Amino acid sequence: MKNPKAATIKKRRFFLTSEDLNGYLFILVALIIFSIFTIYPVISAIITSFQDYKPFGSEWVRLENYEKALSSKLFWKAIKNTAVYTAVTVPGSLAIAFTVAVMIMPFSRKSQALFKSLYYIPAVASGVALSVVWLWLYDASPSGLFNQILTFFHIPTQNWLGSSKTAMLSMILMSLLSGQGSSIIIYIAALLGIDNSYFEAAELDGATFMQKVAYIVLPLCKPTTLFLLVTGIINSFQVFMNAYMMTGGGPDNNTTMIGLLIFNNAFEYGKYGLACAQAIMLAIVIAALTAIQFKVAGENVEY
Amino acid sequence: MTGLYSQHLKNPKLRYLRNGIMGVVLFFFAVVVLFPLVYMLAWSFGPAREMAASSFSIFPKTWSLDSYRYFFNFSPYSVRWLWNSFVVAAATVLGNVVFASMAGYAFAKIRFKGRSFLFFLILMAMMIPYQVTQVPLYILFVNKFKMTDTYAALILPGFCTAYNIFLSKQFFSGIPTSLIENAKVEGAGQLRIFGSIILPLSKTVLAVMAINTFMGSWNTFFWPFLVTSDRAMYTIQVGLKTFKFANGTMLSPMMAGAVISALPMFVLFFSLQKYFLEGVTIGAVKG
Amino acid sequence: MKKLTALLLVLAMVLAMFAACGSNEAPKTTEAPKAAEEQPTEAQPTEEKAPEEDTITVLMPPVTGDYIELLDGWIADFQKDYPHIQVEVIATSWDDHFNKLSTMALAGEAPDIAEIPAKNVGVYVDMGVAVNIADYLPAERLADYDQNALDYMTLDNTVYGLPLYLTIQSLGGNKAMLENAGVKVEEVQKNGWTYEQFLKAIEAGTTADTFGFVFANAGVCTSDMVDVFGSISGITSNFTDDLKYAYTSENMLNLLKAVETMVSSGFMPDYTVEAGQRLVMLQTGKTMITGKAMPLFENNVKKNVAAMADGSAVEGSIDMEYVFLPVPTMEGVTEHCYGQVDGLIAMRNKNTTDEHLKNVCLFLDYLTSGERVANTVNQLLLACVCESGRQAQAGADLGQSPNNAAATTRCIGLVKAPPVGVTSEQAANAMTVMNEVIEPKFQALLAGELTAEKMYDEVCSAAFELFGEDGCETGFIG
Repeated sequence: MKNPKAATIKKRRFFLTSEDLNGYLFILVALIIFSIFTIYPVISAIITSFQDYKPFGSEWVRLENYEKALSSKLFWKAIKNTAVYTAVTVPGSLAIAFTVAVMIMPFSRKSQALFKSLYYIPAVASGVALSVVWLWLYDASPSGLFNQILTFFHIPTQNWLGSSKTAMLSMILMSLLSGQGSSIIIYIAALLGIDNSYFEAAELDGATFMQKVAYIVLPLCKPTTLFLLVTGIINSFQVFMNAYMMTGGGPDNNTTMIGLLIFNNAFEYGKYGLACAQAIMLAIVIAALTAIQFKVAGENVEY
Repeated sequence: MTGLYSQHLKNPKLRYLRNGIMGVVLFFFAVVVLFPLVYMLAWSFGPAREMAASSFSIFPKTWSLDSYRYFFNFSPYSVRWLWNSFVVAAATVLGNVVFASMAGYAFAKIRFKGRSFLFFLILMAMMIPYQVTQVPLYILFVNKFKMTDTYAALILPGFCTAYNIFLSKQFFSGIPTSLIENAKVEGAGQLRIFGSIILPLSKTVLAVMAINTFMGSWNTFFWPFLVTSDRAMYTIQVGLKTFKFANGTMLSPMMAGAVISALPMFVLFFSLQKYFLEGVTIGAVKG
Repeated sequence: MKKLTALLLVLAMVLAMFAACGSNEAPKTTEAPKAAEEQPTEAQPTEEKAPEEDTITVLMPPVTGDYIELLDGWIADFQKDYPHIQVEVIATSWDDHFNKLSTMALAGEAPDIAEIPAKNVGVYVDMGVAVNIADYLPAERLADYDQNALDYMTLDNTVYGLPLYLTIQSLGGNKAMLENAGVKVEEVQKNGWTYEQFLKAIEAGTTADTFGFVFANAGVCTSDMVDVFGSISGITSNFTDDLKYAYTSENMLNLLKAVETMVSSGFMPDYTVEAGQRLVMLQTGKTMITGKAMPLFENNVKKNVAAMADGSAVEGSIDMEYVFLPVPTMEGVTEHCYGQVDGLIAMRNKNTTDEHLKNVCLFLDYLTSGERVANTVNQLLLACVCESGRQAQAGADLGQSPNNAAATTRCIGLVKAPPVGVTSEQAANAMTVMNEVIEPKFQALLAGELTAEKMYDEVCSAAFELFGEDGCETGFIG
């Protein structure tokens, strides 16, 4: 894979090889769709971030939106909340998904199918209906379900979403317990792709289960892990629906996510320029994190 | 994949014990994960009237189909909403399975100029939160294309997503390059290689992509909400939201709606189930 | 078999795909006449007599359960007089109404008419899409509306919309329980009560399984509690009559201290209560007084009591009579009731012309007056805020108890509109302090994680930063 690169460098810059043409052909539709419906809005958002946006007659304000965002305490608090949320839920979700996927493996096809369905099904329920259920689980009165469980074990009831101590925890718990379905399925697809000969060889060398996981499964699942990690972090940094439906960011802004802040600025307060500036900064943070992930995992991903 | 676990050939009892314990753990965790869903399903058979989620029992006191009837009677468009969602989700799946996987393959296995840059661009675009791209997108569709209340407006933005390009790229990069090189030596063009070698190997990832894309499209609320004004063009998620009135929620009809809206995904899931299980036997091909 | 299902599914998808492409044509044809209608608007009128065709778009949440259906009928009536005006209704849900409105407005595609609460007017004025309706509406039509209600829709002395209804947000209670706790209910409804009387009542009303008082305060409902308790302590809006920021006054400290004591007193739950819970707690006898409460709750309670017969009522319901109560008043403070106006505003988009705005305001005024508004207001058990509405409303039997009806009328009279001279910048800053400081800190106060003094200091420092110390009232508002 390193040779072709060297070869292209030698060639004239404007000369397109058949590989080039093939490549462009393959990405043509994707690129067209992508340019119109993604690149264009993104560029538009970048431009707007330098404006005091008004539908009729925006004014250029240079970096004012960025300065305003950076000097706001709430912006930093939201970044911190989002970072905490991401730092716990993304690795946590990956660990859960990977463990479940590995644990499903030894079973017969029928049992595998059963477990996969059981774990995937929660992913299909609509978010709105689920958040109604979770609100009920977290109800702070003694008759809320989680509080009933606590009472059963003689633990004092909690003000789940209403207290600074438990609000973020509650959001994290909800995230960990719902929505691993896709990741599990993706991991299973990766696990099924590992050729048995690797394990047979390892078996001959007398490798233990943990050694097989560490030296065969994990490295071979790396592209999948990288994918789930990168998309997981992107999604987690942009998360806002949970906070929007469940807490509105409270109490004391302890569950205000950066995504919620951007949403509120754009759609509640009409400060669209500011929202764009915040979004661009968020994107830069995510991009930096993604670059690091590619660097760390990078070299061995393609083979 | 069976090789990961020791078969304990000398001591089958140990194997049964191990599998038994894991089965119990998996099952217990599944119950926890499924709980909100059970609640949803149970209450969808509750009475069709306003109530706060206050009765605090897992199951409703009385069971009836009223809420389902209410859902279908609530609006003359209830069925139409389901159909709209299906059309949009199906088209989105098709677009992604064909075009995103092609692009993913190109990024993984074809060395063309500007490859890294373009891929980087696609990744970058995922990082801008959708909250700020909705307004320009709205201007584009409403003002430039005049496409309010059309299927095209609902389908096109998700027709080929960065997420799926990335997913398929990650998967395809795991397929040995030698396989492709051999085919090339035999004179096969890239399209043929993709069609007759790569795709058959990739049923799993394509099935995963299909179900995830379908689900994503099916559950999308905000964009369809923005570009539809005509009640006949709502998707099911937009329609479901109209269940919420000023003072309180029709809990059971809402849950019934959620159950109905989840049904097509169950069907899709179970019909694609086979491919999730099949796995990829690259080794066999390679050998 | 499985293969067959999969195959069928793929087939169905392909079909759906074709259907999608096919159906694209259909909506286009419906759009074509619309485009045709718009064109003459731009062209100069050749004949003075025939009015030009015009289309008005209205963005509407379900103000009442059947509002959208009623709207269709009203439009048909309207078109009898103005056949050249077409009206297109975009129905939304409460949750997402503003998101759609903002997106449309930001895109320069705002609907011509939209429903909004008065406190959001500033956002659209700031965006430059709001329209001064006094420019397009004859003065005698404006005179139909009560000045007090109109003031809500006014910013910087400009009227941006017409009031649809004025809701009063106060307290409601269980009559028998209140009387047991020694409250002279009818007198309170007639003359109001003091904060001390209220405290004594909820103390007496608290038993082993009943709270004296519950206020829904979870998540976004926090602001309701700030508003209603604001009127208890004498703060009626963000700004005082001389346009100084009000939440930095001594009244605010009194308010916060009152909430602090109440939360720790045990007369009120020490956990957050969801919006849907407050009425249920009242209906099941878990609380004596509930808030925020509207006169409308009388209907809910009656319905629920009637439903006890066939077992479809809320589980554990008790037979009870609902009384609508004024909020108590702290010492030295004039009695007020917290009111919120919801109105319709006219908005500008890329194609808006003067001629078009005249039609828009004509229809806007049509919706917010006469039978239309009377119908809406009757359903909400409120009183109209325009003369024509009151005439249409006269003699309507709302099924409200006479005492509750009298208390409602009295409370509406106690509502004080915000000062009309507030600029959109002041309004925006007030919104920022409310959303970013007062609400979040108030949640912490309710959770017992912050003291009243500490919170007061934080509100003051944030407000001083935005309004300047001179722009804030730090004394007592009488």
